[in-house]
Amino acid sequence: MSMTTSPLTPEIVSQDGNAMVLSMGPQHPSTHGVLQIMLEISGENIVKAEPEIGYLHTGIEKTAENLFWSQAQTVIERMDYLAPSSNAYCYCLAVEQLLGITDRIPERARQIRVLQAELTRVASHCVWLGTHGIDLGALSAFFYCFDMREKILDLQEAAGGARMHPNYLRVGGVQADLPSGFMEQLDALIEMFPGRMRDLRKLLQANPILQDRLIDVGIMSQEEAQEWSITGPSLRATGISYDVRRAFPYGGYEAYDFDVITRTEGDSYARFLVRLDEMEQSMRIVRQVRDALKPGPIAIDDTKVMPPPKETIALSMEALIHHFKIMTEGFRVPPGDVYQAVEGPRGELGYYVVSDGGNRPYRVRTRPPSLYNLQALKGLAPGNLIADLVVIIGSLDPVFGEVDR
Amino acid sequence: MPSTQTPPLTGTAIDPTALRPPIDDAAIERIEPANIHARLAELKRDGFTMLLDLGAVDYPQRKPRFDVVYHLLNLRETKRVRLLCGVPDGDPKLPTATDLWKSADWAEREIFDLFGIRFDGHPDLRRIQMPNDWEGYPLRKDYPLRGPARERSPRPAFALKSNVQAGTPPSGRTLEALQQQIAKIRGEDGSK
Repeated sequence: MSMTTSPLTPEIVSQDGNAMVLSMGPQHPSTHGVLQIMLEISGENIVKAEPEIGYLHTGIEKTAENLFWSQAQTVIERMDYLAPSSNAYCYCLAVEQLLGITDRIPERARQIRVLQAELTRVASHCVWLGTHGIDLGALSAFFYCFDMREKILDLQEAAGGARMHPNYLRVGGVQADLPSGFMEQLDALIEMFPGRMRDLRKLLQANPILQDRLIDVGIMSQEEAQEWSITGPSLRATGISYDVRRAFPYGGYEAYDFDVITRTEGDSYARFLVRLDEMEQSMRIVRQVRDALKPGPIAIDDTKVMPPPKETIALSMEALIHHFKIMTEGFRVPPGDVYQAVEGPRGELGYYVVSDGGNRPYRVRTRPPSLYNLQALKGLAPGNLIADLVVIIGSLDPVFGEVDR
Repeated sequence: MPSTQTPPLTGTAIDPTALRPPIDDAAIERIEPANIHARLAELKRDGFTMLLDLGAVDYPQRKPRFDVVYHLLNLRETKRVRLLCGVPDGDPKLPTATDLWKSADWAEREIFDLFGIRFDGHPDLRRIQMPNDWEGYPLRKDYPLRGPARERSPRPAFALKSNVQAGTPPSGRTLEALQQQIAKIRGEDGSK
């Protein structure tokens, strides 16, 4: 297999030593994955940057077309591997729209989904904050971030059975009720969070070295942000207050109080602060969900979509048949197409789902926020130093499972 | 050698976009390829300042074969619009939107890469996800799931006689012992 050839190939372009083409990545530690950037540089200054992606292309969209609706969710969770529940959430909402069961999802299931989506956002931002710090030479914060993330992964493991890809959310609700002990674990996290955020802010936010590296680096204007289709924290750092949770509410987000954090500077430090504040807003939602959780059903009472509880299949012939049908041939979704978006940790995560009435998705097109955010590197990098490119990549927070799919 | 895999999906006989249930997710417009660029420019002037996404769907049994789907967002009025543009098979192509939105660049390259739809006027139309020398367009419905090369050489069935004779089995048992065992399983040793 040949590598993707860029119009820029690594070679010295001019003999006077002023301009050359440098290949950064795909194994460079600060590219947060398998990103290759072909840089045309003059001394230390970037003249042109051409990101090359595709090193992690696994054909998830093609694979999803060949699996049942419920099986496809397992590969879809692997796109944005730092926020699997956000992907699953969006996909489930889209399929539920096509099935016409959006209004019939029980309240407790909706609350648990919001809880998972917000926890996964905090976990994802923890990874971003830790790795962003490492890029800048601030190693200690990494351990605090990953320690907190581990607590959240423990919660995901308790609920869904797996740390990274719990596959806990399902079309029609969630897979099982929260286990005993979950609430105590969640309370411990809620209690630990403010102190840990204070530590992190003290360690990073007020750090003069970090401020020197971030402030006025990679400035993005509102017009540029729209031109490049930037969404999420990077868009809000330019002053545009667009959050899918507020603009197009879904899954019961109307019920919770939270602020859409915006900044006006549009530089890397603004993006840094927006994400930090967002973590606190997410935990604010988590606390509200925690207080609002009431016992009740956790999935839709429709055995055509959701398999009946395992206990009932030994007692009821009908339950056994429904269980068998769903496990062997999945459920069918009426024909149609739908675009559903959620606010993922990196921005607007959208799914354009097409069904032809069968038991497999006809087409699942993802709108990956990372792809569009990363693309803006072409506009942001020129004029900066190579060392600042590392800062800009970190502040855009790309995840390559999602960029390449 | 004929393939023993399941035949490739030939696509749906219906047009799902025409049968969609009443879902209020976006205003939907169907535009002819000749008018798509003008319509996009018009919508951009009307406040749809963001081209959120652009993807494609393959309907092999329909005419036109492909749908290219544009998702636009109006930030001020928080409104979405979705443009569906049918592209016929043969030499599928559309005018580029990169002159209106820079963000269309990679999305159009991806559609070219995975569906083979060309975008006229794109500054750098080459493959983005697949290697440059890749043949075929993987997200088309007639493209085999496991790739053309593996499709031509189907997975060998396990424990066939021809297979066993090919060499020493990994278990280290003698060939005769294994053949006897297989024969016994199949009831060929006269025990049944």
